[in-house]
Amino acid sequence: MKLAAAVQLPMVFRWRWVWLAPATLFLAVMAGTAIGETAIPLETILKVLANRLWGADHAVDRIDAGIIWNYRLSRAILAACCGAGLALSGVVLQALLRNPLADPFLMGISAGASTGAVAVTIAGLGAGAVTLSLGAFAGAGLAFSLVVLLARAAGSGTGGGRSAQAAGAIILAGIAGSQLFNALTAFIIAKSANAEQARGIMFWLMGNLSGVRWDDVTLGLPAALGGLLVCLWYRRALDAFTFGADSAASMGIAVRRVRAILIAVMALVTATMVSMVGAIGFVGLVIPHAMRFLVGNRHTRLIPASALAGAVFLIGADIISRVIVPGQVLPIGVVTALVGAPAFAVILIRGTRRR
Amino acid sequence: MKIARHFLLPLSLIPVSFSMASDTEYPLTLTNCGTEISFSSAPEGVVTVGQSATEILYSLGLSDRVLGTSVWFNPVLPEFSEVNAGIERLADNDPSFEAVVNRRPQLVAAQYEWHVGPTGSVASREQFHELGIATYVMPADCDTKDNSTGGDGTRTAAFSPAHVYKGITELAAIFDVQEAGRALVTELEAREADAIAKAESLELPQDLSAVFWFSSPDSSVDPYVAGRLGSPGYMMEKLGIQNVIQSDEEWPIVGWESIARSDPDLIVIARMDRRRFPADDIEEKLNFLHSDPVTREMTAVKNGNIIEMDAHAMSATMRTIFGLESLADALTTLSFER
Repeated sequence: MKLAAAVQLPMVFRWRWVWLAPATLFLAVMAGTAIGETAIPLETILKVLANRLWGADHAVDRIDAGIIWNYRLSRAILAACCGAGLALSGVVLQALLRNPLADPFLMGISAGASTGAVAVTIAGLGAGAVTLSLGAFAGAGLAFSLVVLLARAAGSGTGGGRSAQAAGAIILAGIAGSQLFNALTAFIIAKSANAEQARGIMFWLMGNLSGVRWDDVTLGLPAALGGLLVCLWYRRALDAFTFGADSAASMGIAVRRVRAILIAVMALVTATMVSMVGAIGFVGLVIPHAMRFLVGNRHTRLIPASALAGAVFLIGADIISRVIVPGQVLPIGVVTALVGAPAFAVILIRGTRRR
Repeated sequence: MKIARHFLLPLSLIPVSFSMASDTEYPLTLTNCGTEISFSSAPEGVVTVGQSATEILYSLGLSDRVLGTSVWFNPVLPEFSEVNAGIERLADNDPSFEAVVNRRPQLVAAQYEWHVGPTGSVASREQFHELGIATYVMPADCDTKDNSTGGDGTRTAAFSPAHVYKGITELAAIFDVQEAGRALVTELEAREADAIAKAESLELPQDLSAVFWFSSPDSSVDPYVAGRLGSPGYMMEKLGIQNVIQSDEEWPIVGWESIARSDPDLIVIARMDRRRFPADDIEEKLNFLHSDPVTREMTAVKNGNIIEMDAHAMSATMRTIFGLESLADALTTLSFER
């Protein structure tokens, strides 16, 4: 972060190419709809979309129609929302905390979600009436609250909340909170899980979009768009935070308030996504860095670019997870890490050379 | 007579010879799931790890030897509810090693290698053997199954009740109740044959297909369905039904997209008392099938060809035969006009 802020990196970005953004997103969603576990001819896919979107009256198999509209399209759109939400969380946390390793799960959210999920499915909390998603959301919220309380206590303990110390306190509190909740998860699994349950839950925790339907989109789309708007609203504050909270304060930004709002909003967005699809790693860490190399550090550009790249990346990862092993769906988290890690390495090396 | 016994002694070391002798000759040595075990006399006390092992011992009339039970999936078979109530249940799930040892058994009888086996969650077999406690693992879990791959193990060849019968016969020999063992196997074989004959008399369509849905980790996510080589695969093969799932895993996770597009004629759903996932509840399964925009269009759902089956009958136990019977019975009530 420090380096990236200090060095002006080449910018590929030009405003006249801005129309590419919606076009890319549209193509990605179409690809997500056209490619799936089973092969459905492109013609059938276009017919179903025409039927649904323009009220056309093509004859199509009702199962195919249901798969395309209710499974694949909703899944592609939610993948886009999750990718965008996670990437934005990464941008915000990396800027606020001035730490290149910050990611959406820093605040204990994925650890808490895991604990909530296993509490419901393995410890049997709620006796089948509470869904795994609800348990995960509650766990994420609980872990986040605990981390915030700890960070506040630690921050005030180090002398009135000097900004750099406050950022350090947040990171350390996040690590401590994550460890605690990971331990709780391990405790619950060790106490009462059998192999089959443990496998089911592990599969879910690595990210799973198979259960996505339209009602998830009605939750995920507002969350992603809301996150995007909040980020854009605070884009100048985020620019200022990049140079340190003290500089931000000297520029007249209410450091504590803005930081609290941004972290809370991003935690809410992340927890919403995690509760629907599990903890998908790497997107929130890698996409912001990649986009900084491509469009620079100004958040006016970085925010939309990261949201778009996160969306397209996660749709792509979801497609790969469905087709890479025939007849089987891999957890999407495996794919994001397998694709993301080498891509990140390439970006890092190229970025260093250009400097 | 004495001479004859001396002649039979070496023979009794070979498991095949059980059918000849009605009294077990000790010491009895046999190879069980790759481990050689031997008995100098019939065990006085046994702890069971796994419902299937428990129920087989009850069926052999050995409940007075059972010191404790564990790993329960469903309520005990109704005919044993009274007997079972008088026997200590060490744990609903995995018992601890010490809880088992503390009952001072001479034998631990396990249903699954993942409880008592190379990476057993209760203990390895050696840990029991070191304490002078013999172990027996139901052959249905290891004869045609590799428990080191796949979440619930992977079948290397199709399950067949022969492996359950082998377990019954060997346990009967260990406890010197070979007559009871033979009677139980004969009864199960007869019920198996009746069920198959019943299905054959129905003249079902040649290409009748089915999927067995066990449960799902969350409401609408990809479900656990039966692979082709496990107990459901055996039932389908015997009754002339194609499994739309081609995996060798015991319970692979397969997407609804794949299942719906293969559009089986028949959906068999598991009924269980477990309530860990919402879809454990059979009402939730039915609700999903009838309300999901894709599954509600499936032929089996539209025609009402959904069969409920006891979840334990879908595992490799003697209840497989009961499952086969209930499936054959259910087929008589359905029509498959297409």
